[in-house]
Amino acid sequence: MVIGPAAGERAAEEDAVLVARLRGREERAFEEATSTFYPAMFAVARAYVRSGSDAEEVVQDAWLGVLKGLERFEGRSRLRTWVLQIVANIARDRAVREARSLPFSSLEDDAGEPAVEPERFRGPDEPYPGGWRSFPTDWATLPEERLLARETLDLVRRAIDELPLAQRTVITLRDVVGCAADEVSEALGVSEGNQRVLLHRARARVRARLERHLDG
Amino acid sequence: MADGRHIEQGYACAEVVELASEYLEGAMTPEQRTRFELHLNLCDGCSTFLEQVRETAALASSLSVEEIPDDVRAKLLAAFRDWARE
Repeated sequence: MVIGPAAGERAAEEDAVLVARLRGREERAFEEATSTFYPAMFAVARAYVRSGSDAEEVVQDAWLGVLKGLERFEGRSRLRTWVLQIVANIARDRAVREARSLPFSSLEDDAGEPAVEPERFRGPDEPYPGGWRSFPTDWATLPEERLLARETLDLVRRAIDELPLAQRTVITLRDVVGCAADEVSEALGVSEGNQRVLLHRARARVRARLERHLDG
Repeated sequence: MADGRHIEQGYACAEVVELASEYLEGAMTPEQRTRFELHLNLCDGCSTFLEQVRETAALASSLSVEEIPDDVRAKLLAAFRDWARE
């Protein structure tokens, strides 16, 4: 997502106000920040540690670090981005201590996987090589209640839960929580290109699950 | 569907599906974007695919997010009060 200069300035101003309230020891500001940032903080922590309760602990430790470091925050990045980097550092240290392998260190498995099964396209010796054999169904032609049914959303949730860890983390942060691309790549320490590869693989897998469900 | 001449100069459908996120994320060069949109204009299959990817992201964004558990909230507030007293 591209943020225009006006939106960027507004965001920086919002951050400045929140930081000033936190520095002023305003409890209400802390409650707001802990609630709003929680989904993103939890998703980053969860990428590195063994369980949801470990991730909760990482979030708590991260807030202690945020409060301690608040005087040093200079507003060069968004406040949430800075907070997420603190979460990732604490979670990574913990993963290293527990001798767990770090996600995002190798993307080979993710990069090699096609977004759509190759059989859906015409072969090199056929007319229109690389073209669709038959087009995907236009979901706009489905009754809206079908697309928005509880069942469909549950399927999306399950499909995300079953993704490989790195893909699951990126789609959760980007699409479910609504973080910006640069925020996610900075927090997870992956290039913007690799962040996009992971997002694309994740969306492609979830799309394929939806397609099987909606076409069936 | 795109004709043979177009495939030679532009993207094949099998390539378009791999580039969908580059396009949606605004990560293409102007030249790539033009080629990509040229293909979309001629190919209903790829336009539908792209719409499905958008819809997938939209459905994901309508899922509920992880909420802060009450005990975590309480511990954080206690830590904040300690910090605020320092």
